[in-house]
Amino acid sequence: MNRFEFLGRFARNRGALVGAVLMLGVAALALLAPVLFPTDPLRIVGPPELWPGEDPDFPLGTDSLGRDILAMIVHGARATLLIGLFASAVATGIGVTVGAVAGYFGGWIDDAAMRAAELFQTIPNLIFVLTIVVILGSTLGNIVIAIGIVSWTPIARMTRAEFLSLRDREFVQACRSMGMGNARIITGEILPNALPPVIVLSSLVVAGAILFESAVSFLGLGDPNVASWGRLVGDGRQLIRSSWYICAIPGVAIMVTVLCLNLIGDGLNDALNPKLRDR
Amino acid sequence: MPGSAVPLEVEGLRTTLFTRRGEMKAVDGLSLRVGAGETVALVGESGCGKSLSALSIMRLLPDPPARIVGGAVRLNGRDIVALSEEAMLDVRGREIGMIFQDPMSALNPVTTVEKQISEVLTAHTELGRGQARVRAHELLEQVGMPDAGRRLDAYPHQLSGGMCQRVVIAMAIACNPAVLIADEPTTALDVTVQAQVLALLRKLQRESGMAMIFITHDLGVVAEIADRVVVMYAGRKVEEAPVDDLFERPLHPYTAGLIGATPIPGAERAARLADIPGMVPPLNALPAGCAFAPRCPRALPRCRAEAPVLEEAGPGRAVACFAPGAP
Repeated sequence: MNRFEFLGRFARNRGALVGAVLMLGVAALALLAPVLFPTDPLRIVGPPELWPGEDPDFPLGTDSLGRDILAMIVHGARATLLIGLFASAVATGIGVTVGAVAGYFGGWIDDAAMRAAELFQTIPNLIFVLTIVVILGSTLGNIVIAIGIVSWTPIARMTRAEFLSLRDREFVQACRSMGMGNARIITGEILPNALPPVIVLSSLVVAGAILFESAVSFLGLGDPNVASWGRLVGDGRQLIRSSWYICAIPGVAIMVTVLCLNLIGDGLNDALNPKLRDR
Repeated sequence: MPGSAVPLEVEGLRTTLFTRRGEMKAVDGLSLRVGAGETVALVGESGCGKSLSALSIMRLLPDPPARIVGGAVRLNGRDIVALSEEAMLDVRGREIGMIFQDPMSALNPVTTVEKQISEVLTAHTELGRGQARVRAHELLEQVGMPDAGRRLDAYPHQLSGGMCQRVVIAMAIACNPAVLIADEPTTALDVTVQAQVLALLRKLQRESGMAMIFITHDLGVVAEIADRVVVMYAGRKVEEAPVDDLFERPLHPYTAGLIGATPIPGAERAARLADIPGMVPPLNALPAGCAFAPRCPRALPRCRAEAPVLEEAGPGRAVACFAPGAP
């Protein structure tokens, strides 16, 4: 499959195209945050509780302390996206490794790995994340690790299933007949074949990670030095009856981003899944 | 290759499958000798242990359930049955190569032809990426790939079945193995492509002098490529003979049955092909005595009680039968 075919199939899914464009916009905002708003977004810059549009200097208004909501949203995009991407990377790293080893070797290794995965799955995710964050401390890195630790199981299961179906295929046998070792077969031969569905799942884990982070920050356990979207929602919750926009604006940002990521996941699925190719 | 040693010598090889339904003797005392430049065909119906024999020789059967319980496989004089798995990694692909039945599925669908060939080369030699690519190009030309330079970066689905088989062959011979095992390499191909692949294998063998085991159930192909034929039934060798002798005077009734079931061009249309009644018995339900007795037209009472052993029957010939055809 060449690149153009892939892009063409991805773009045929209109929703995915819209999602990708919006996501690129959010990513651009996140990248340009220090240029657009060079000062600390958590600084108090104006009168408190300005409604959006009330003052042209603060297009999205200010919060209860008089901080610029637009600046915090733009800087928050940075934090939120970074957390989502890195948490997904951690989850994918753990999940692919465990799933690949379990699926390839089978036997007791498989049993042990899958029992471990089940153990993780039985613990309520949010509580597990909160516990880890409370134990390790509220820094960005720890939140990323915590989300990664609770999100790897579906990726491990997916990878394992792919490996199970691929490991007995003739080309793997052929590789063995040419004297390739297990490590080489796992990483060089089977993994590239197993990746497409895993990539789709990883893109959805990014969305899940953003929601986890929002929940953690909403509950006030987020990194106190970072203006993530979840934290903005949490900060605004005392004023939700009078100045509901303080919660609503970052809430909408979270919703749009997660929706975009889900649309992109669908598009990737269409583009990468050969079984759906000519639907 | 050491001068005097026979490239491949299999002696009394026994492979047993340990399954829940009991132990199955998949390969039962197989002995084979393949000299340099010689082609030995392994013939028999589906399920008679041809492929399992080949995989046992390569030590590629998964353990559990399969285990080699006896015998020796000497590759260039060295017994590889007892070698560690690490040592086998170095043997496979370098000293012994293998070609598979379905070339389309024997290639990794997401990797280019060049990468797949280079992978073998870098695994067994000191070649760098660039040198491996040059060597891959040479190999493709050697196996007669049309437009080899352009095919280097092709993916398997962009090639025809015949071209894929050429790639598989190129990978198998990349490190000049002394022994090549071809497991029904032409079965999945068109007749015209079959002929090309057979011609290619003969050419490569002439050039390198490698020993070849050719597994097939197509006696037409056997006549074309083999020097000697080993007929297998239910995991055992029932007859061995030089190829011409075998077709002229098959000794074992099973061999005669196989030959009788092969259409002869020009023969009378009206004559129905003689089939062998029944099927290969499942390995966990082998009859006492000769495994072929229930299907054998010449079966004697003795055949159902006692298993015949392989005995010499003329120069280069052997047969395991109490009532062999006239030698």
